[in-house]
Amino acid sequence: MILLLLAISLVPTLWMLSMAFKPIAEWSASGAELTWWPKSPTLDNFRFIFGQSSSELIVSLERTAARPIMASLLAASFGTLIAMTAGTAAAYGLSRFGKGSNLPLALIQLRLFPPMAVMIPLMIMWAFLGLIDNWFGLAVVYGIVTLPFAFWLMKTFFDDMPREIEDAALVEGCSRLRVFTRITLPMMRPALASSALFVFILNWSDYLIALLLTTRDWVTIPVYMTSLSSSMTGQLYGAKAALGLIAAIPPVILGIAIQKHLVRGLTFGALKE
Amino acid sequence: MSEMSMEKAELALPATNDVIDEEVRLGFWLTLPAQCLVLFIAVFPILMQLYISMTDWSPLDGIPWYRAYELWIGLINYTDLASDSRFWAALWRTFVVMIVCVPIQFLLGLGLAVLFVDEFPGKRWFYSTLLVPMMVVPAVAGYMFFLLFQSGGPVNDLLSVFSSSPVRIAWLSDASLALVAVMAADIWQWTPLMFLILLAGMISVPQDQQMAAVLLGASWWRRFVTIVLPRMKTIIIIALAIRTIEIFKIFDTLYIMTGGGPGVATETISVYIYKVTQQDLIWGYVAAIALVILIVLSVVSAYAISTMSKGAKVR
Repeated sequence: MILLLLAISLVPTLWMLSMAFKPIAEWSASGAELTWWPKSPTLDNFRFIFGQSSSELIVSLERTAARPIMASLLAASFGTLIAMTAGTAAAYGLSRFGKGSNLPLALIQLRLFPPMAVMIPLMIMWAFLGLIDNWFGLAVVYGIVTLPFAFWLMKTFFDDMPREIEDAALVEGCSRLRVFTRITLPMMRPALASSALFVFILNWSDYLIALLLTTRDWVTIPVYMTSLSSSMTGQLYGAKAALGLIAAIPPVILGIAIQKHLVRGLTFGALKE
Repeated sequence: MSEMSMEKAELALPATNDVIDEEVRLGFWLTLPAQCLVLFIAVFPILMQLYISMTDWSPLDGIPWYRAYELWIGLINYTDLASDSRFWAALWRTFVVMIVCVPIQFLLGLGLAVLFVDEFPGKRWFYSTLLVPMMVVPAVAGYMFFLLFQSGGPVNDLLSVFSSSPVRIAWLSDASLALVAVMAADIWQWTPLMFLILLAGMISVPQDQQMAAVLLGASWWRRFVTIVLPRMKTIIIIALAIRTIEIFKIFDTLYIMTGGGPGVATETISVYIYKVTQQDLIWGYVAAIALVILIVLSVVSAYAISTMSKGAKVR
């Protein structure tokens, strides 16, 4: 029973994995026979998306996958930085001083809205500010979209933290700010790291926002991946699978690394462990 | 904020005015960035949206958005929306996906959680593997299922094993089957989330009552229904709420698998808005649709949150 479920949960991924290593003859549209495993495994698909034209595929790419990978990394990392900075500060402020008590609900509401529903004003504003097709513009939106997760995660971590150490430092005459930066934050390093990874996964997984806000120079991996098929060569199954694999690996590894905190993150801290 | 004042009282601090002042100021500055970001993404854009939704503005008109009043049409966009059959069809389709997928994901997740609540060899390994689908980038998951459901793909290949003649169903270009394929992808990807949340909830149910019930000779099923499930009520509601909301927004996987097609057969609300935004470019109208959705969602969510927090207090 469990084995069957395991198989179901793995097969789609494995199928793409096998696609990624198949030579063109095994994945082309006319490709006769379906094989579960590549008969003659090759790295051609990977070489192809990084700009090396293979012997069988006469076409070469106008733009390689290197830049979209960089765009994804930059936008997702910087977006994480924004969300974590604003989120951690607000979480601490609320957890310790009860300031900004309208924030938690406002942030949950923010998360409920389909991004599609605020995209029109956002696209207009971003065009106005010259932030369309710009990694920084994308990162700012990512930062805002994932802010609720950063905030709630860090808030539950701060709520869990024993206050005796902070109190001791206060009695010693440290200022509140100093306690926060010198004592609380260093103690929270593991919590900060896992929250940041969680937020990074969310940013990295985005498709819709990048689809709307980037056009050419700063398209992210998923957007670039879909554009691969619209060239005149038809579907580039193998190349897309190779790219998909590259996009899929980081979140899976990071996700397993922070498994312990996944529940907390996904339920806005309503559930721990 | 009675909680806060109690905590303050507990602190054995020299509660001079200076300390209090400092805390108020620091609390203000710490929450400021987040407040600004929320204002920036929520309040201003929504006002802008309201303004544009009253006009016939489109980015192709050649006039900047702030002069959209030149194309003022009042509430026409909203009355158009009421009679827009494509919009209502998309909304209905979104609900169909919701009604089919959420219960299936819930039951599968609950079943898996029951299996995983006890220890067995290799549990940790199995657990991690089961979580893989939800960590795959949704757009990539969409592409995976796009590959699986090709007419010469593995799904048909597997079905061929069970039938005498080779199956060659064109899943994604068949108007009645495309939605099934899309729902399969969603169930595949998000059942692990249900499982993860429900398992965490199930583990946190205290053992004592269950032990007592065992001693009294209650069957497993009886214990499950009368002790475990009621204790998991809040968690179940959270899990269901999360999935319902996310399915309402469904876009990535679906759009990559079918692009909303064939025709409009898999066009959900997000896909519909996207298409009107990108292809028809009538942004005044899109703003009206988006605003209506925002208002409805705000009311529903405000109601849901207040009910949930009330429920939490009663517990």
